[in-house]
Amino acid sequence: MARTKSPYKTRLALTPYLLLSPAFLVLIFVVALPLVFSLYTSFTGYRLVRPDTLWNWVGTRNYERIFADLDFWIAFGRTILFLAIALNLEFILGLGIALLINRITWGQRTLRTIMMFPMMFSPILVGYQFKFIFNDNIGVLNNALQSLGISDAATPWLVDRYLALGSIIFAEVWMSTSVFAILLLAGLFAMPRDPIEAARVDGCSPWQVFRHITLPFLMPFAFIAMTIRSLDVARAYDIVDVMTGGGPAGRTELLWTLIARVGYDNARMGQANAMAYVSIILSIAFTYYFFTKLVAARRYMGGAA
Amino acid sequence: MKSPRLKSLTCAALLPLLMPSTAALASEFDGYTLRVKLIGGAQYEPLYAEIPKWEEMTGAKVEVLSRKNHFELDREIKQDIAAGTLDWCVGSNHTSFAPQYGDIYVDLNGVIAGDVLGKFDELAIKNSTVGGKLVQLPRHADISNLYYKKSLYEDQANKDAFKAKYGYDLTPPDTFEQFKDQAIFFADAPTFYGTQYVGKDEAITGRFYEMLVANGGALFDEDWNPTFNSEAGVRTVMWFKELYDAKAVPAGVLNYLWDDTGLGFASGTVALNLDWAGWASFFNDPANSKVAGDIGLVRAPKGTSGKRSGWSGAHTFSITETCDNKEAAASFVTFLTDHDRQMIEARAGLLPTRTQVWDDAKAEFAAAGNDFLVTVFDTYAQSMAEDAFTPPLIDTWIEVSNEIWPALQAAILGEKTPQEALDEAAEEARIIMEDAGYIQ
Repeated sequence: MARTKSPYKTRLALTPYLLLSPAFLVLIFVVALPLVFSLYTSFTGYRLVRPDTLWNWVGTRNYERIFADLDFWIAFGRTILFLAIALNLEFILGLGIALLINRITWGQRTLRTIMMFPMMFSPILVGYQFKFIFNDNIGVLNNALQSLGISDAATPWLVDRYLALGSIIFAEVWMSTSVFAILLLAGLFAMPRDPIEAARVDGCSPWQVFRHITLPFLMPFAFIAMTIRSLDVARAYDIVDVMTGGGPAGRTELLWTLIARVGYDNARMGQANAMAYVSIILSIAFTYYFFTKLVAARRYMGGAA
Repeated sequence: MKSPRLKSLTCAALLPLLMPSTAALASEFDGYTLRVKLIGGAQYEPLYAEIPKWEEMTGAKVEVLSRKNHFELDREIKQDIAAGTLDWCVGSNHTSFAPQYGDIYVDLNGVIAGDVLGKFDELAIKNSTVGGKLVQLPRHADISNLYYKKSLYEDQANKDAFKAKYGYDLTPPDTFEQFKDQAIFFADAPTFYGTQYVGKDEAITGRFYEMLVANGGALFDEDWNPTFNSEAGVRTVMWFKELYDAKAVPAGVLNYLWDDTGLGFASGTVALNLDWAGWASFFNDPANSKVAGDIGLVRAPKGTSGKRSGWSGAHTFSITETCDNKEAAASFVTFLTDHDRQMIEARAGLLPTRTQVWDDAKAEFAAAGNDFLVTVFDTYAQSMAEDAFTPPLIDTWIEVSNEIWPALQAAILGEKTPQEALDEAAEEARIIMEDAGYIQ
């Protein structure tokens, strides 16, 4: 004879689902639906100014265009380069700042606050600030170089192929190095003193202490910072748009300046969404890489994998 | 002699007659809030200081939702269309941008009285019409002419050196070839430049377009096939490139937009500046400009075809189809473009779209002894009458422009030959025109 559950037991079994449902509903409406919608639009000829084109199914045409579009892949490659240089510079400078601040005993709180200042500015403001500094004609940098007699040329900081990308990286690094510094400083604060003291007693040099104890301990913190910043930098838009707009001649074009132009200026939101989905590969790859490194670093330190 | 007392008596007598109509007007939109999105920027703002007067007249309130430059406003409007949030009534518009927006704006022919529209310049009204609908009311017109630093042309040493080098007299340029010669002659980088040009976005596309036409070329043929990669197109690109290579323009010019070129000329470090009339008062104001009192102005130069460049358009106001009070919106845009408001803009050098304002503004400048603004209005009136032409008023203009300007930059920087760059842009433009259904 088949036994049926009592209504009480059924209710009991459903309770966890009921309690979880608000979270699921939020995830569905806030995350999943917009993602599914934008994925759908990437298969349409959706033009921002023609809402009826939302139903104009074009299959994989947008993706085929992207895969054949050299400009897109150049921007893709440049974004990887931009990300690699910016992240490494931010890590090295952030580490240096964190180590220096960790050493001082007076005014540390004030310095920590001052260190956070660049992060408090809007990226648009930072873009305008550096656009003015790097302006070849009326910019502060060229005027300073000329006044100090270092150069008598009007260096085209925002035009030259290498200098333009370098100038944008400089602005990005200026604004966000403190992310690394603050996370690494938190790592330094959390670091136990015993291994360092033991190493010193055993006669290790300061460099050996740093290389074999301090740095491995800090690496999990560094990889967390890199994961956060890689997602941030892969979406870099505001600073680049203000400083060069991705130009001249596409020399500083990154994925999101290109996607924004296609999506908004050209109103081809279907194609822009297809580009955005392809560019997500980049974010996933970097996130996966840094998480792998994070797990390895924690295992090395004897932490949980 | 007119007696003040007589005036007061007349006013007092007329007051009861005026009051009912004012009261009726005030009650008409009383308590209504008109939501608007306006173009922002120093030259556009003085007009907005007049808005409280309209509020007082009508009892309505104006809520300004946006005040951005036109490129940013354009993005915002496109987002509103996509999101279905066109919950505002009046928006700034431009003749070059309007064709993109489909059916979101009303035909003003049915909303604004015919006698009001009749007071506007016929060409401005024609250029504001898209697909037979008057989707915008022109606020002020836009065309470029050539400002120059007068003292450079009066200097005898300059005259002699120029004649010796180029074989003709140093006078303000009448052709783009002379413009280029003189810009290179005056340049002494990095402290002084012959000229500058806007180097990105639709700004450089527009310059290229007007010079292409002046050089005998065209963007498209009559079947909308791109034709700007012609010999005339290459010649036009070479003008930009030769100036760049000769360091007659700042190296950063490819990142410049209108503010950069205007402020550059005002800084006194530039000899020649092809620009709109909106800068005229600023250039001649000693508080803002180092070239005040030393400015000459001639019509835009001629290309090799003998035609002058004349890329023109108008800043405008539009009313949305979704507006919940089109009468209030019509009253507002009519007020912002009426005679007195256009006089305010004209005093800054902005070109009126009402024919009467041209005459009245000029008469006022002459009476005040402002010869410079009289010259400005004379010169710009002539170019508006004889040289003006718009870009193709098609919805794909901005998209085609976004293919042309990076190509121009690549050619100027020497990354591609002008022919290669234009060929590639023309191919991309063809795909855009095919996608949009212009080419079957």
